[in-house]
Amino acid sequence: MQNLIFVLFRRLRLPLITLIIVYAVSIIGFVLIPGIDDQGNPWKMSFFHAFYFVSFMGTTIGFGEIPYAFTDAQRFWALLTMYATVVAWLYGVGVLLSVFQDKAFLRSLKTHAFNRRIKNIREPFYIICGYGDTGSQLTHALASAGILSVVIDSNEDRINELEADDFLVPPISLCADVSLSEILENAGVTHPWCLGIITLANDDTVNLTVAVIAELLNPDLRLISRAETPEAEANILSFGANEVINPFETFASRLALALKSPGLYCLYDWMTGPSGRKMKEPPVPKVGKWIICGFGRFGRTLYDHLDDEGISLRVIEQDREIRDLPSGSIIGRPTEALALTRAGIEEASGIIAATNEDANNLSIIMTAEEINPSIFCIARENQSKNAHLFQSANLDMLMQRGTVISNTIFAFIKTPMLGDFLRIVSRFKNDKANELVSRIIGVVYDDTPELWEICINEKDAPALFEVVKKQQILVADILCGVAIAECDKSKHSIALALFLKRGKGNVLLPEKNRIIRENDRFLMCGTKEAHQQMLLVVNNINLLESVLSGEDLPAGWLFRKLRGNKKAKNPPS
Amino acid sequence: MNSEKVIFAFFIVLALTLNFGFFLGGMDNAEHHNIYELFAAIVISLVSTILKVGDRTHLGAVFLATSLVADLQLIAAAVVWGFTAHVYGEALQGHSLATVISLSGGALLANIISVVLLVAETMMVRR
Repeated sequence: MQNLIFVLFRRLRLPLITLIIVYAVSIIGFVLIPGIDDQGNPWKMSFFHAFYFVSFMGTTIGFGEIPYAFTDAQRFWALLTMYATVVAWLYGVGVLLSVFQDKAFLRSLKTHAFNRRIKNIREPFYIICGYGDTGSQLTHALASAGILSVVIDSNEDRINELEADDFLVPPISLCADVSLSEILENAGVTHPWCLGIITLANDDTVNLTVAVIAELLNPDLRLISRAETPEAEANILSFGANEVINPFETFASRLALALKSPGLYCLYDWMTGPSGRKMKEPPVPKVGKWIICGFGRFGRTLYDHLDDEGISLRVIEQDREIRDLPSGSIIGRPTEALALTRAGIEEASGIIAATNEDANNLSIIMTAEEINPSIFCIARENQSKNAHLFQSANLDMLMQRGTVISNTIFAFIKTPMLGDFLRIVSRFKNDKANELVSRIIGVVYDDTPELWEICINEKDAPALFEVVKKQQILVADILCGVAIAECDKSKHSIALALFLKRGKGNVLLPEKNRIIRENDRFLMCGTKEAHQQMLLVVNNINLLESVLSGEDLPAGWLFRKLRGNKKAKNPPS
Repeated sequence: MNSEKVIFAFFIVLALTLNFGFFLGGMDNAEHHNIYELFAAIVISLVSTILKVGDRTHLGAVFLATSLVADLQLIAAAVVWGFTAHVYGEALQGHSLATVISLSGGALLANIISVVLLVAETMMVRR
């Protein structure tokens, strides 16, 4: 604010001085010029009257010639000063308006308002750097989950777009360069309520810079970053980032998983996908010959991952300048039937359109399906504005860069333990993964599983925390307890504990007879109803006690006493 | 030589001299105190206030403060004078005259501080 006032006064200095001088000269004139009062006696205006007259004349209010009718000499002077004072006012107001229209001044006003809003935040929030496709999807997802986000982007159009959008929890936004440490600090990197920072810039150097600054300013902050190349990924991970997501890498490894271990693919898809979907039959890509069209970053990553799985691959690339093309690659336009036939499309089991042109990708898929209708089609979508085209293209799998990143990040935000869980699960053998999948399906039936975390502490689960301090509670108690509250004493669990963190130790799939301790953190999975039910139970002591004892206990002190007496009188036989 | 500095110093010193000129004279004699001088002192004091606004240094802040004090005192003196002459319809004498003069005396002190600061600043920056 200080700065703004200084800037304002600096710019208004000349108009204000002009105004003072014009007023002073006008007043002096009226005081000096002799007039005549109503009796015809010579009379001189006092400073008081002169100031009064000039004040209403200058502001064009014009009460008339007060207190006595003017002489002609006075009218001459009034005529002159009338214009002078009005012009001085207009000049001042004009400068004032131009200051408020000044881009730099407006920007500093906005920055100031932004800083003040950040300082006043009293709820947990995330900082999101970059409001492109990914950023906007993630911001929307966070907002509908009721989480506040602070969005920074250097592109003014994107920020305007954000301000025009509808949000459940409106994000706080600023148009600024995120790679400046001052901006990040103002955005709340060191704010006590800041939960984490997510950097989603297209440019890896920007992501790297943000990561470095965030790490230096606040080493405890959760940092999730996007990276486009493996080098940047390794680099950002090396100084303490929690999660780094490379969209190409993520998708390629998923595809490899789908080919190698459909069970694991399902797990990944459920846990990092949007919740609340109906469970779908997972796509079953056939192992066989695959064709990759385009050998850019995405094509290369796909090639590396699928090659590791021992799948026979053919690459079609139209740029003959590209070096290190794998042997047997076809140089030609993948959109033409000729190149596809040369690559052996007739007997291929899958095709991946991985160029960076959406039109080309669609054309590849359409040509390929014409030649080989049973082929497994995967396309890369580069721009989200083409989403509906890809929707109608009848694809088996779609690679949406923005969605891949934003869904994954959202899952990591909602359940921070997911990262560790997935890292452990990724080492599962096929049959173990399938077993886990069938256990999850047994809990959720045909919805995609909902994930949530429960931390046994005062804040998150007060009721459970109280009880755990007093008596031994088993994992089975809370899980079946949920079932009791919901399904009326059927001993069937509708939620599953996936993962337990106790101190530094990790327990995968904690057994049902494990004792719950204070400060345990559970990653749970189940239906949406189970989630709500469990939240109710762990927060409400009455509900929890009735669930644990299996009977409906009275909530009030008086009825508890009465009941206690009754029990003492009629001991259960 | 910097023309901005000349104008700045000119207005500050002029504010002091005009103020002193008005203040000089007997406390009980309205003849010694010219109303035009008071008017000029107010105008110049206002101008020098505007000139001082917008300086972010510590010294600038003190300059601004002294100037605001002078404005306040002088305007109060003018208001007392105007009230006596027009609202009560009396000639300026006795208590009200003493009030006007002592108010302008207070403004004089503030203006002296202002000039001392100006001199101190000039001494600090040897060129």
